[in-house]
Amino acid sequence: MADVNITVDGKKVTAPAGTLLIEACKSVGIEVPSFCYYPNLSLQGACRMCLVKVEKMPKLQTACTTVISEGMIAITDSDEVRQARKGMVELLLGNHPLDCPVCDAGGECELQDMTFSYGAAESKYMEPKNHKEEQQWSPVVYFDRPRCILCYRCVRVCGEGMDVWALGVQNRGVGSIIAPNKEDHLECEECGMCIDICPVGALTSGAYRYKTRPWEMNHVGTTCAHCADGCKTTLGVRRSETGMEIVRGDNRDKSGINGDFLCIKGRYAFDFANREDRFVQPLIRKDGQLAPSTWEEAFELIGKRFKEAREQHGGQAIGVVGSNRTTNEENYLLQKFARVVLQTNNIDHHRTADFPAFAAALRGKPESTASMRDVFNAPAILLIGNDPTEQHPLMAWQIRNNVRLHRAKLYVVNSRDIKLRRQATGFLRIPKGAEGRFAAFLNGDDSVAENLRPVAGTGADAGESRATTQTTPAGFRDQLRSEQNLIIIFGAEIRGGDIASVVKFGSGIAGAKFLYLADYANSRGAADMGLYPDLLPGYHPIADSGKFHQEWGGVPQTPGLTLPEMVDSARSGKLKALYVVGTNPVGRFDIDPFVFSQSFVVVQDMFLTETASLADVVLPAANAYEKSGTFTNTCGDLQLVKKAAEVSGSKSDFEMIVRIADAMGADVHKLVPFGRGTAADMGQSRGAQSGEADRHSVWLEAHGLEPKMSPFDPMAILDEIQRLVPGYEVSRMNLLAGNDQRTSLVGRASGAAQNPELIAPANDHLFSSGTLGRYSRTLNSVMENHDQQPAEF
Amino acid sequence: MPVLQNIAAIAKGMSITFREMFQPTVVENYPDGPGPLKGAIFQERYRGVHVLQRDENGLEKCVACFLCAAACPSNCIYIEAAENTAEHRISGAERYAKVYNIDYNRCIFCGYCVEACPTDAITHGHGFEIASFNASDLIYRKEQMLAPMPAHMGANAVFNRDEVAAGAPSLPVQGS
Ligand code: SF4
Ligand code: SF4
Ligand code: SF4
Ligand code: SF4
Ligand code: SF4
Ligand code: FES
Repeated sequence: MADVNITVDGKKVTAPAGTLLIEACKSVGIEVPSFCYYPNLSLQGACRMCLVKVEKMPKLQTACTTVISEGMIAITDSDEVRQARKGMVELLLGNHPLDCPVCDAGGECELQDMTFSYGAAESKYMEPKNHKEEQQWSPVVYFDRPRCILCYRCVRVCGEGMDVWALGVQNRGVGSIIAPNKEDHLECEECGMCIDICPVGALTSGAYRYKTRPWEMNHVGTTCAHCADGCKTTLGVRRSETGMEIVRGDNRDKSGINGDFLCIKGRYAFDFANREDRFVQPLIRKDGQLAPSTWEEAFELIGKRFKEAREQHGGQAIGVVGSNRTTNEENYLLQKFARVVLQTNNIDHHRTADFPAFAAALRGKPESTASMRDVFNAPAILLIGNDPTEQHPLMAWQIRNNVRLHRAKLYVVNSRDIKLRRQATGFLRIPKGAEGRFAAFLNGDDSVAENLRPVAGTGADAGESRATTQTTPAGFRDQLRSEQNLIIIFGAEIRGGDIASVVKFGSGIAGAKFLYLADYANSRGAADMGLYPDLLPGYHPIADSGKFHQEWGGVPQTPGLTLPEMVDSARSGKLKALYVVGTNPVGRFDIDPFVFSQSFVVVQDMFLTETASLADVVLPAANAYEKSGTFTNTCGDLQLVKKAAEVSGSKSDFEMIVRIADAMGADVHKLVPFGRGTAADMGQSRGAQSGEADRHSVWLEAHGLEPKMSPFDPMAILDEIQRLVPGYEVSRMNLLAGNDQRTSLVGRASGAAQNPELIAPANDHLFSSGTLGRYSRTLNSVMENHDQQPAEF
Repeated sequence: MPVLQNIAAIAKGMSITFREMFQPTVVENYPDGPGPLKGAIFQERYRGVHVLQRDENGLEKCVACFLCAAACPSNCIYIEAAENTAEHRISGAERYAKVYNIDYNRCIFCGYCVEACPTDAITHGHGFEIASFNASDLIYRKEQMLAPMPAHMGANAVFNRDEVAAGAPSLPVQGS
């Protein structure tokens, strides 16, 4: 759009036509106070805080609803404007309680800030204030009505942003009140967006209420430990008897891929870390019982038994199971440890999507995967399978808000009436399990068109969809073919050869990109880092020699056993040792626990899961909020995981792997290339928490100058990952500064589909999250409240 | 005459000495003096060991707002907040201090915490006998600093000698 020139407080401002005055002011650093205005939500014009003087207009104007026009002259700071703002604050405070000392918002309250900036701290009103009791609307949402300043942000974010519409306004004028959808309680997605967006302390969170105050916490920006979307979250931590305790999860730093968004899990479900039934010391099975022991004893025993198994029965008698929740560095180290030290390719993980087939299908098109940010900006999106609202809340938010704000066209193909159909331009309902057939149909196989009709009686209710045309599969396909820059998002229903069909169809569309949905925080990372019996990191086939074989030396070249094959091998007594890191295969795949009675089982976990309960040695692990490293989300966005909390008595999986290697007598230097780098900064700046010194160390780190003095430093292995794994050549500087970085999926695996039958999607819903969800009190209480079964996994 | 000058100077000096000899003594007879303060004399404004006050209903005034902890330059106040419930009401507002510690190894008795307190919950008492051979004794917990129940609910808090002189029960606040 053409640019418009205006003058604000004597400063010349140029902005595209259609820009709001408040945004134009912000672009040159002039702050106009506002309550009800919020970027990307509809305009409300309710609070009158943003009044400014616009020349040639008789009265003060609300900057949040005024669109700039050529030659406009605005004044944001004059006696008149200041007086108006002061008057507005005074009215807001008329019935506002003096709750600041106990209010959760105190210290980060916009009303406090405004009162400080514009005065009106002394009231002319003498009348007693009208008090109303605080209400609990759901396990996580509380409402304190007198504190509400009626900005309607909560109503809009819940409706427009979340498409839940659970909050509304009752009555009119001064009698207006915010009300939940079910009279005295909420029935909603419990995302807490309303709490986050509330400028004051009217909406408060069940998890954080009255616990502490903002300035009493350290705030650590890290990545959510739950689903595979990888939201950036800020954890507020406080010291406690056992280390550092997480008291709040929120999104105060809006720079992440998730912008304003966090779902219930990112916001509240950190409480698994504070469970008292968590392991805090190693356990060794003695006389059939798991008994507490020391770390030294545990490592010594594991080292001895693993070494025995390797020397007496060879590497093929040892199995390793990795996790979707451990960092890239840990996954890389684990498979390297298995291959180099244990001399085995028997390594696998719980596969929730078929990334090897995806990588193979994308061979030669490394840049054609879509990022999470792309989903917010794409002009058209095709979604095949999955239910992002439940399984990928951030993905759903991106899609929904792209449709709302950019009028993107959304095409949904699903066997269920998923909620996102309400945003869809085209919705095609297909029978359950027909996603693969649909992929073939997209690719021109018309013979399957008949089989894509929805089952009678369960038709798509077009009434609730924005779908304009009653879609037939053929019409649907034609519409898709006419799109450009389409992002094709598909769930794990599509696997193996079907992925190639989807990719082939997409290749016919200019600028098409692809996005494959897996579950759990680092499942893409687990796949990229080679937790496969036949693939090395970067989907490099184990049989092909290459830089990994050269660099590591002596890696067995025959593919190892998959997880079910390991179970079979254990059943026949051939598997002598099993090393399980941060996962629960016995529970997840319903494995008969007696299968492992003849194997020496080592489990690293936080809780007594089904797998841990049959282990010979249990090592207490730290979770993703308690260690550093990186995660790759399902789109391939690489993000930093920063240590926030700490529970004494646990160790990171990284450290435990290194200690076991050491106990086996392996050369730790070969496993973790520590001790490299130029000794540029020998610790003068260590200990500084922030400021110049800290930035200095970030710079050193980014340029590989930081000496890696410790074998437990994940950064040391990140060097090797960046050097050896194709697609991970990202800017270290940006990564360490907390920005998301794009990795690319460089297909190396030959076209052969990789056992698609091994893929078991997690099928989590909004309130469940595998093992972590099981141990989160908040999630369980919300589920109870929604009459859902608490999660099995 | 230098001799006369010297005698005059000595006489002048000694006159001050003799005059002061007959003035009333200002030495405090602590700790052998009378009364609960053992002869110590305080100014009203003296800043001693803190007292956490109660309101007229005996509820704790502190609402665990953490403002004293934020204001404290030596970072010696540690608070853990908890929520009041109908059955278990400790303070008048929604929240109370479950744990309230002051580390007297570090406190500099500057009074910033008292300034910061929005509910006048924390005040300086006149307690000063806190020397100890064990540093960990100097971390005072809430129970050691809390004022007793108000008079109509039991005892009365004693903060200064005027109140004692006026006949208030001379039960000293523990720790003050
Ligand atoms: S909402 Fe803000 S101004 Fe109102 S009581 Fe809470 S902190 Fe104070
Ligand atoms: S928690 Fe989310 S869904 Fe529920 S009312 Fe608030 S914004 Fe709406
Ligand atoms: S509850 Fe908060 S966000 Fe909602 S209208 Fe009131 S002040 Fe605004
Ligand atoms: S959408 Fe996923 S990554 Fe984001 S907060 Fe929710 S669970 Fe965490
Ligand atoms: S008197 Fe000063 S140093 Fe002592 S607790 Fe109060 S603010 Fe801190
Ligand atoms: S911000 Fe403009 S009226 Fe509220």
